[in-house]
Amino acid sequence: MSFFQIVKRWDWVVIITLLLLSFLPSAVFSYQQAGISEDNSEFIAVISVDNKVIKEVTLTGNIGHEILDLDDIPCHDSHQIEILDNQIRMKVSDCPDQVCVLTNYISRPGQTIICLHHRVFIEIKAVQGNSETEDIIISY
Amino acid sequence: MTKNQRLVYIALLASQAVIIGLLERAIPFPFAIAPGAKLGLANIITVMAIYTLSTRDAGKVVGIRLVLTSLLGGTMSTFMYSASGAVLSFIGMWAVHKLGPSRVSMIGVSVTGAILHNVGQLLVASWIAQTWTVLLYLPVLSFIAVLSGIAVGIAANYLLTHVKKLHYYRYLRESGEQPN
Repeated sequence: MSFFQIVKRWDWVVIITLLLLSFLPSAVFSYQQAGISEDNSEFIAVISVDNKVIKEVTLTGNIGHEILDLDDIPCHDSHQIEILDNQIRMKVSDCPDQVCVLTNYISRPGQTIICLHHRVFIEIKAVQGNSETEDIIISY
Repeated sequence: MTKNQRLVYIALLASQAVIIGLLERAIPFPFAIAPGAKLGLANIITVMAIYTLSTRDAGKVVGIRLVLTSLLGGTMSTFMYSASGAVLSFIGMWAVHKLGPSRVSMIGVSVTGAILHNVGQLLVASWIAQTWTVLLYLPVLSFIAVLSGIAVGIAANYLLTHVKKLHYYRYLRESGEQPN
């Protein structure tokens, strides 16, 4: 019995509907992000443990190589997080599934690195940066 | 099926699912593009249970599998992820199966199960992380879930057509003679 003898018409309906629905969060997200203009937005990486923000790093315009040594992150003794130019990654972790390490570098807003085991989350957010001049105008 | 036969059958299915799940954990997954994805071979058992047992008994198989797998090699947090994944995928598979054997095959049922398993896990992850951007990872996982779901569906289809007893149980279920 071959694959095409097994599969039925509604199978395709179900599969394609579910695939399209799985793009729904991305669609909502890009709709939400449309409000933030590309020119003066800044990408920041928010590192949090147990929903408490440990550190925020500005990634836009960042040049060079840096290894963060954060004592609050339980994933490894030291040297857990690596920043290379405008990308950030989890370098080492002692968790069993290693999902966070395998995720590798992230750099676009909305991308996340998740360590479910240690409850460590790195999320990239786009924020409106360099808006000081606008503030002055508004305050008048 | 007598009551004893049914009990033994439920126990067998559940234990097979546990073993498959544990063995699968030992296989390193080759897809570097989707960290966290796995083959989901234990889904074969859930598909078989849905096709050969009443809804209540299939639910029992899933429940026993869930508890035993977590006890045998999981933590409290992994139990939560697998529980939400298992419950959501079981409901979805049950609903798709309800469309009837003339409309959907086991492939549709198992793909639904695979995709909804991911949805359930990501929902818990985004609830714990307090950010729904975790769900942006869904398309990649769904794509792989379709592939593995098709493989699992074909495997379950072979088992149910070629293993005599399973074939007979399915016939019993679909002709409505099975005592509930």
